Amino acid sequence: MSAYQLNDIEVRYGQTKALDISSLELATNQSTALLGENGAGKSTLMHLLAFIQKPNAGQIHLQGEAVKDTLSSQQRQKIGFVSQQPYLLTGSIRDNLKLALKLQHIPRHLHQPFIDEALTIVNLTDLSDQDAATLSGGELKRAAIARAIVYQPDILLLDEPFSHLDQRHIHQLEKTIQLFAQKSGKTVVFSTHDRLQAMAIADNSVNLVSGRVTSAPLLNLYHGHCHQQQFNTGQIVVHVAENKPEARHIAIDPREIIISDQPLEHTSMLNRFQGRLIQIAEETGHIRLLVDCGERFHAIITPTSLNKLALQLGDTVWLSFKASAVSVF
Amino acid sequence: MDYFANSLLAALRLIGSLDADIYQIVFTSVLISLAASAIAAIIAVPAGVMMALHQFRGKQFTQHLLNTLMAMPTVVIGLLLYGLFSRLGPLGEWGLLYTPTAIIIAEAILIFPIMMNLTITAVNGADPRLVPTLRSLGARTIQMAFQVIRTTRLAILAAIIAGFGRAIGEVGAAMMLGGNIAGYTRTMTTAIALETSKGEFELGLALGLLLLIIAFVLNFLLSALNKASS
Repeated sequence: MSAYQLNDIEVRYGQTKALDISSLELATNQSTALLGENGAGKSTLMHLLAFIQKPNAGQIHLQGEAVKDTLSSQQRQKIGFVSQQPYLLTGSIRDNLKLALKLQHIPRHLHQPFIDEALTIVNLTDLSDQDAATLSGGELKRAAIARAIVYQPDILLLDEPFSHLDQRHIHQLEKTIQLFAQKSGKTVVFSTHDRLQAMAIADNSVNLVSGRVTSAPLLNLYHGHCHQQQFNTGQIVVHVAENKPEARHIAIDPREIIISDQPLEHTSMLNRFQGRLIQIAEETGHIRLLVDCGERFHAIITPTSLNKLALQLGDTVWLSFKASAVSVF
Repeated sequence: MDYFANSLLAALRLIGSLDADIYQIVFTSVLISLAASAIAAIIAVPAGVMMALHQFRGKQFTQHLLNTLMAMPTVVIGLLLYGLFSRLGPLGEWGLLYTPTAIIIAEAILIFPIMMNLTITAVNGADPRLVPTLRSLGARTIQMAFQVIRTTRLAILAAIIAGFGRAIGEVGAAMMLGGNIAGYTRTMTTAIALETSKGEFELGLALGLLLLIIAFVLNFLLSALNKASS
């Protein structure tokens, strides 16, 4: 059984379509990262999953059950939600946790053990009686997470949990998420625009581009118009394998891009661009290159290739990739 | 100028002498205004919170209606209720005319739109994350309203005080429905009107000063509350 099943979901803000998802399943017992740029629809999707916003059209199933207009108390108890900028009510952290337990109709004798457990998970036991108004950004976020998990929901939804946090708190929060997700029957969904972070802590990811779910990687993502198997980004023209006049985005897997110091000859690759190497970074056994060809391309090569090509920052390089390596959507 | 200065001195002396008649009038006024404020608040605050939290057909019209009612002249309320409560009126049998109850009803009606409107403003002015947060924590309608009132309590208290301030300074309806009966329905405002017309300027001035002091205290409270709630 999946935690969520979304069908034919549409959310509109005025004339703009913020979300357009024909089908999306989020698995139980897994942590899923929602990836996308700012404005891709991550928060809107989060609000739908938390049932604090209704779609203009479509159906959402929560743990196999279709949700009608409002959630039942039992269904509401299954979801813990932490918004991008969490809001704590007046009073201490403990008061906030108590209120959540009261609103969820948790029996009174369970309040103390549940509060203690939640505070331990987020490492806020020492600050439990501190006024919420005096908390720092990181503490506030952790307090909000404690409030969301205090009634022991099956599903934890976190909207941009890592934004505005320093490295130490990010690390702490990653551990908190992993700690929660490890428990049996728990599902975590969090949104982020940091793909690497998502890969590090999530079991799988959902990519959102302009409100649509796509299987394309979100590196090398460009927006523009498609005409006769050519996609114009405004800066460059990329050859694509499919002709989709309605498509507005392309993405190219960085592993499909070949880097050379000379233009490749005798190749069937239609896409060849000359550019300047502007960044070299090591990344889990691979080398990530950033090349400016009018648009900026990420490419991933092996350390051996880097040595062979003897690349330096500022060098002129050639990028080549097949039209079929381009996802058009 | 001497006339005014002498009257002012006499008025201050009256206030200082703790004249029983004066304080009886002040007491009646405060009691009637408190009762009217309590009755209006019990209905206006929940109604205002519910209206602010919910979207419904006719919401904008209701808002316009409230704004109009806020500007309704007090004598019109007095006139309508006089028609209802007078011996020949539909509620004449209740014998409410020229009783404090009649004034309380009139003032409650008068300040209801003010309190409701200010409550709506208070809730709309709350942090926009409050309602989604409560919803995500599972709050149902009544719990939601209760928590919203708790969070915006200072601004709502300010709304109630503003209503009380309007009630205690009201004269038209109190005169028409209370009849200015000494020791019974004589309020500060009706007494000022009567005493001045009788030529008892000192007494009028003493009551006026007391009314100003009450208004000052209320305004002081209001600004302190507004400061605390923001």
